[in-house]
Amino acid sequence: MTSAVDPSISIATSVAARPDAPPAPVKLKVEGLQFYYGQSHALKNINFEIPEKRVTAMIGPSGCGKSTLLRVFNRMYDLYPGQRAEGQVLFDGVNIVGKELDSTVVRSRIGMVFQKPTPFPMSIYDNIAFGVRLHERLNKSQMDERVEWCLRKAAIWDETKDRLNTSALGMSGGQQQRLCIARTIAVRPEVILLDEPTSALDPISTSKIEDLIDELKRDFTIVIVTHNMQQAARCADITAFFYLGELIEVAPSDVIFTNPKEIKTRDYITGRFG
Amino acid sequence: MASLAARRSKDAVVKALSTGFAFLALFLLGWILWTLLARGLPALSFSVFTNVTAPPGQNGGLANAIVGSLIQVGIAMLIGAPIGIFAGTFLAENGKGTKIAAAARFVNDILLSAPSILVGLFIYTLLVVPLGGFSGWAGSLALAILVIPVVVRTTEDMLNLVPVGLREAAFALGAPQWKVVMFITWRAARAGIVTGLLLAIARAAGETAPLLFTSLGNNAWSLDLNSPMASLPVAIYQYAGSPFDDWVALAWAGALIITVGVLVLNVVSRLVLSRGH
Repeated sequence: MTSAVDPSISIATSVAARPDAPPAPVKLKVEGLQFYYGQSHALKNINFEIPEKRVTAMIGPSGCGKSTLLRVFNRMYDLYPGQRAEGQVLFDGVNIVGKELDSTVVRSRIGMVFQKPTPFPMSIYDNIAFGVRLHERLNKSQMDERVEWCLRKAAIWDETKDRLNTSALGMSGGQQQRLCIARTIAVRPEVILLDEPTSALDPISTSKIEDLIDELKRDFTIVIVTHNMQQAARCADITAFFYLGELIEVAPSDVIFTNPKEIKTRDYITGRFG
Repeated sequence: MASLAARRSKDAVVKALSTGFAFLALFLLGWILWTLLARGLPALSFSVFTNVTAPPGQNGGLANAIVGSLIQVGIAMLIGAPIGIFAGTFLAENGKGTKIAAAARFVNDILLSAPSILVGLFIYTLLVVPLGGFSGWAGSLALAILVIPVVVRTTEDMLNLVPVGLREAAFALGAPQWKVVMFITWRAARAGIVTGLLLAIARAAGETAPLLFTSLGNNAWSLDLNSPMASLPVAIYQYAGSPFDDWVALAWAGALIITVGVLVLNVVSRLVLSRGH
């Protein structure tokens, strides 16, 4: 996918497509966040804001903490006893790090799609219904509507409408990933976290998902972790660059990719390291 | 570095050895099966399934032993399967990395390889002696104790094969842990867990030692779990060592019935597994 697109062109178009977007309200506000895997200090005093109904990309070399931060946003780290977070992440003003909110509530409002497609071993329909049933009681026709709604949103309805009751495991990787996005949307979260959602996919599936991200930001706040800088430039309104557990720079994507303030950012996006 | 010719000859030797021993193992297995069929098939008749055991020369069958085995193995599974599945789930899901899980796993491994006659003696001292008699319940419990470690082990192993990503994906939708386990991980590991159950049935169905001091055996038709109960392995044990030709023939027939039953279970479990993937 990197070779398919000339980076200079994609940056230019991304700048042209978003001339001075109006400021959006803050959806997630990270304040003094520290994160530890046992003894190792993975995130060091992170402060930044994620605007509502925008796409925010987090980039940086492997091990820089970007995926860790994503996993803080929906409390994935809760599953593992050795991992802990300090500081605050305010979600519409409510701190989601700590015990104020139950992690299942946080996760229903801040959904996550993973790097590898993870269809559940059940039918396409049940893949979606599983998440919905966790939080809502719908009758059959309401559920049918919800399934169709989210499959349409994820741009996969035409491919799945005739095989809703077949196993999701029989789909292609790209279809599985869009199903996972549909499944996440079906719960009607406010924020969708995407952890390198296209790194396991071919270029055509990747471009479908990127188009989808553009559609989804009308309704959802999107945070995407990516190793692919062209992808960040193409999809994201705002890009944050992380290095060794620190947030080095966050700015509108066109600024980050054309005129970064920090030398480290410049070195990374021009390929000097990473 | 060895010359090409030397490496080729080493390769040929290892190939010949492994192929040879594979055939030897197959040959021994085939021999056992052949003997079983040759002796068991002629003894197999309709009356084996309809008549109860009888004194020599009176056209006895194995009906009470077959039904007794089915009942005792059935009850053993009803008791052992849920305990085994939940314990295995604890080891793979909730208790991962805890000391209690490590201890439970260790004890389970010991139980898995414990001689089955010990299990029989354990139930004998625990149930048979205090209650004053052999019973079908005691036999069922002894078999249940044999079943549990098999099910615990296969359940834990199969759950460990479920990718972490699948669990995280379910958690990411806001599912509480019990729903993740029941609807996602169990489901993903379903074929393997069922295979473990079938293997446990096969193991329990073939055991003689745990039944000798517990359900004892019964030469009359009895469905009463509070009195001694017949079973195929015990009947085979009694008959095979007897001096009467018709009893020995019945022992072969019983051995054939168990073997075919276990074979069918194994084939079914393979089918279940292959359909699961």
